[in-house]
Amino acid sequence: MQVETGTRSQPHPLSASVARFLSVVGGLGVLLSEILRRAVRRDFDRAELLRNLYRMGLKSLPIVTVTALFTGGIMVIQAAPIVQRYGAQGLLGWGAGFGTLREIAPLLTALMINGRVGANNTAELGTMTVTEQVDALRALAIDPVAFLVTPRFLSIVITLFLSTIFSDALALLGAAYAGAGFLGVDPGVFYRGLTTGLLGFGDVAHGLAKSIVFGCVIGLSSCHFGLATSGGAPGVGRSVNATVVASAAGVFVLDYLLSFALS
Amino acid sequence: MTGVDSSAESPAVALESARSPITAAVGRFCLEQVETARDLYRVFVVTLYYSVRGEPNRKAFFRQMYEIGNRSLIFLCIVMGFIGMILVYQGGLQTQRVVPDLSLLGATFLQLLVRDLAASICALMLATRVGAGIAAEIGSMVVTEQVDALRMCATDPIDYLIRPRFLACLSVFGALVVIAAGVAFLAGMWTGYAFFGINPRTFANMSMVGPGDLTIGLTKCVAYGAAIPIISGYCGLTAFGGSEGVGAATTRAVVNSSLAVIILNFVISGTGYLIFG
Repeated sequence: MQVETGTRSQPHPLSASVARFLSVVGGLGVLLSEILRRAVRRDFDRAELLRNLYRMGLKSLPIVTVTALFTGGIMVIQAAPIVQRYGAQGLLGWGAGFGTLREIAPLLTALMINGRVGANNTAELGTMTVTEQVDALRALAIDPVAFLVTPRFLSIVITLFLSTIFSDALALLGAAYAGAGFLGVDPGVFYRGLTTGLLGFGDVAHGLAKSIVFGCVIGLSSCHFGLATSGGAPGVGRSVNATVVASAAGVFVLDYLLSFALS
Repeated sequence: MTGVDSSAESPAVALESARSPITAAVGRFCLEQVETARDLYRVFVVTLYYSVRGEPNRKAFFRQMYEIGNRSLIFLCIVMGFIGMILVYQGGLQTQRVVPDLSLLGATFLQLLVRDLAASICALMLATRVGAGIAAEIGSMVVTEQVDALRMCATDPIDYLIRPRFLACLSVFGALVVIAAGVAFLAGMWTGYAFFGINPRTFANMSMVGPGDLTIGLTKCVAYGAAIPIISGYCGLTAFGGSEGVGAATTRAVVNSSLAVIILNFVISGTGYLIFG
């Protein structure tokens, strides 16, 4: 407002939030280039990668399983009125299958992994930052990006990709048995509906390609917000909150763009 | 006390010395789940009690309404707008493979939105944004011993911290869902017009939305609106151990509220389908 007067007054709230947004975008870009440089040169800690894959991937399996089974069931219940109106029981597999494989399974798996792994990752990196452990690493001439960030980023991407394959299969299983329970459609009819040719490998690949991009979004934002934490325990809470919100919004926006780019 | 202070002699500890490690692990897991469920139920009942009998705390209530409602609005509108565009685009593409006629796309989309998607996607997003926020806030109060200070002042943290959030979330969630559903529908209408040439008048077809769909949708609004603050508040109150503990509590809040939304969705959708068809 008072730029002309030359006094250094408080910045306008709008310009302050634009500046904050731009600084986050810039930070994400710088971090991504740092991570990619080390990933290409294979300059990162392999043992840390394996440990993170175990903690992030294997330990998330129960949540992914429950989410996928229920999601499949919900898809069938939502498709049920339409199926009954047209009497098209053979199409149930196709209807539930295409929605699950292309959109819902990658999306919901990403949201659950975002909540469990992304938030946890930010909390850990944030705690390390506020307790000055990251500074200690730098003081010991250990590169924090190679030692902490790159293995976490890679293992989030791998975890989400594998979890999506897993939850594709489980969601279809849940859908088949929910169809048997609620609609009386035999699971065999359901599986035949999946494989009659209306669905192809393209639909599965579409979902898996999305899951890789979602993994990059979640990994990048959780590492960035974790390292940018300041201000003790409340600061860690704020960072975790910022991460999950930024990742969720990023996942939905990129989902839209990818739906066009891939079809 | 009404609180969630973890009792030292939980039955889970008694199993520590059991002989078979697998049985012990399974039993410990089950007992922990039962304990958590009981604690959650207790927090829920106590919150309900204070909501009815406690002294109204308007200032906190309105502040939480602003915090939960107004500050989530832009986030929800962005997400739901993109969801509307994605669903109509993908649905249209797939329907074209089977039937060439797209005139019922809008009606089906609106029914799906009212019945399920508006409330459920909003709830998943709110579990992420609001759930993490509540757990982070209450969790940091717990680890900085502010909650113990409240207890010292003879104030129940459930009354002072969780009740305003519960009431605010319950009352604001329905409005958020309606606004977000409107945004999603408009975005879907634009997509239908731009990509498939569906006339917006044809698209805005409410003939398939019946009272059953509305009832299911509104039931979901109430159930999610109650579940998210209770679960996140419980996760916040059970935080322990410094900044690491706050992070862990926030993670648990997001995961557990999202799981609760998905499971409640399955239960309510299934029941609704059996009742209304």
